Amino acid sequence: MARQRIADPSEWGAATEFDDIGGEVAICGVGDSDMSKASGRTTREIVGQAVERALADAGLEPTDIDGLMYVGMPEQFDGAAFHEYFGTHHDLWESRRGGGMTMAASAPYYAAEALRDGRATYVLNTFGVAWATQRGEMTGGPGQAHAQDLFKQNLEIPFGWFPQPVYFATIARRHLHEFGTTEEQLGAIAVACRRHANANPAAVMHTKPLSLEQYLASPKFVEPFRKEDCCLISDGGGAYIMTTPDRALDRPKAPVTVAGVGLGNSFSGTHWAQQPAFMSTPAVFSAPVAYGMAGVGPADIDLFTCYDPFTIVTLMQIEDHGFCAKGDGGTFVAGDTLHFDVGTLPHNTHGGMLSHAYDLGISHVSEVVRQLRGEAVNQVADCEVGVYAGYTGPQGSTLILRRGT
Amino acid sequence: MAEHRTEGKITRDRFPLPDVTWPLTAGFWEGAAHDELRLPVCDGCGRFRWYPKETCGRCDAEPFTWTATSGRGTLYSWVVATHAFLPQFADLVPYVPALVALEEDPSVRIPTRMVDVDPAALTFDMPVTVTFRPISFAGIDGAVPAPMFVPA
Repeated sequence: MARQRIADPSEWGAATEFDDIGGEVAICGVGDSDMSKASGRTTREIVGQAVERALADAGLEPTDIDGLMYVGMPEQFDGAAFHEYFGTHHDLWESRRGGGMTMAASAPYYAAEALRDGRATYVLNTFGVAWATQRGEMTGGPGQAHAQDLFKQNLEIPFGWFPQPVYFATIARRHLHEFGTTEEQLGAIAVACRRHANANPAAVMHTKPLSLEQYLASPKFVEPFRKEDCCLISDGGGAYIMTTPDRALDRPKAPVTVAGVGLGNSFSGTHWAQQPAFMSTPAVFSAPVAYGMAGVGPADIDLFTCYDPFTIVTLMQIEDHGFCAKGDGGTFVAGDTLHFDVGTLPHNTHGGMLSHAYDLGISHVSEVVRQLRGEAVNQVADCEVGVYAGYTGPQGSTLILRRGT
Repeated sequence: MAEHRTEGKITRDRFPLPDVTWPLTAGFWEGAAHDELRLPVCDGCGRFRWYPKETCGRCDAEPFTWTATSGRGTLYSWVVATHAFLPQFADLVPYVPALVALEEDPSVRIPTRMVDVDPAALTFDMPVTVTFRPISFAGIDGAVPAPMFVPA
C-alpha cells in the first residue's frame, strides 16, 4: 500500500503576513437573525434583523456605526443597504474584507487599522444567506460557486466530481483509509453538535435529537457521508460590532478582546483534487500565527468553534489547530470530547452549521463571544479563551478571543 | 492565480459537457479525441503544470506543451455517487467520480470516472489505466471522448 507523503507546508500554501494586533480590537455586540429553512426572506432582511439585535446587544444606535464590513457577494449589507434599512445617511468607512467564512475570523485584523487611525469607532461585520429560499435557482444549489469555475466546468464536472459533498467525501475516504478514522468518529462530531442544538432554541435542529445509533442507522448518500455529516441548508445571518477595548468597557456587556488572528492560503485554491496535503486545511498556516500573536497554545483553548460544512472538515481543522497529530483526529473526537460540559474540547456549542444554522460561520463568532461573557445556552465552565476557525478551501483562518480587555 | 470564472447560474447550453474549445484545457480534450491522456508540461522546467495555468508556479515560464503520458496511474480516492448531484447525471447513477495519481508524477491527480468495474472491487492505490469513453448526457446534443480509468 503506497502511502501518500504528507506534503511539506512550504509546498502547498502560506500564511498572510500579519502585524501583531493582539489586544487592539474588542467585540462589544453580537446578533443573529432568526434561523430557518426556506423563509422567503431576502438576504438584506435577514442581515438587517441580525444587525438590529447586535445594536441592541451593544446598546448602540445605527448612527453610532461608522464602519461597515461585508463580503463582496450579491445582496450583502453594504452602506446603501444599511442606510436604506435604518433611514440613515451618515458617512461610513466600508470594507469588503468582511463577511462570514474565513472573513468572520480575519475581519477584526482589517478593522484594527481603521480603529487605530480613527477612520471608524464602531465597526459592524455582517453576513447572511437566503440559500434555502434560493436553492432551486442555483446550479447545484450551494455548488453554484464551484460550477462557475471554468477549470471545474472543463475538467471535473463532466466526470461527476462535483459538488462539495463529493469533494469532501473523496477527502474523507482517504482519511479513513490512511489513518483508520471510522464512521463512528465522524458521527461523534455530528452527535455533539446536535446535542448542543437540542438545548439551543435558536437552532434549526432544536427539536431533532440524534444519537450515535441513529446516526449509524441513517443511510449514506455518498459514502461515507450520511445527511447528518453535512451542514444544514438554511436561511440566516449574523452580525458583530468591533471597537477599541476602552470603548468596549463603556458598553453594557462584558468586553471580549481579539487576542490573535491568522489567515492561511492554499496555493491550489478550491482545486482540492490538486491540493498536495489532501487531508489538511490552510489552518496549518493560520493557527500558528494566531497562537503566536495571542501567546497561547492548544492547551489554553477552552472552546473551539469552526466552520463545519462536513464532519471531516471539523476533524481536519481540529488536527490542523494542533489539538492532536495529523491523522489522530478520529481518536480525539470520539466519545464526548467535544461536549460542552464533560468534554476536553467543547466544540460548536450552539450547534454549528451541522445543527444550528447555515450561516457560514458568522454565528460561531457570536457563540464564542457569548461563551466568554458567560451568557451561552450551553455554557462552558471557566471559559476564558475561545477560537473561531474559518474555512473556504483556498483559505483557512483562526481567530482567538479572550474574556476581558 | 488568475481567476477563470463565469457569473450566476450556468447557462452554457451544453453544460455539463466540457467546453472543448476553452483555451486552457482544449489540449486535454484534443488528446482524448486521439486516445491520448495528454497533460501540460512546462517548457521551462519540464514539470507537469496541472491544472493548466498561464505561468509555471515553479519557474515562471509561460509556454507549455500538451504531452502524451503513459495513461497509467494509481487510484488515489473515489466515491460512489448513488445520488445525482446535478439533474443531468440522473441516468448515470451510480457513477464513480475518482482522482487518479499519475504514474509519472503522483502529485498530478486527474479527475475522472472509474468504469467497467464493480465499485466494491476498487481499492486505494490500485494500479489503473486509461480508457477512452464518450461523456454524454440525456437531452444534450453530442458526446465528448474522455479519459476514464479501469483497473490495470
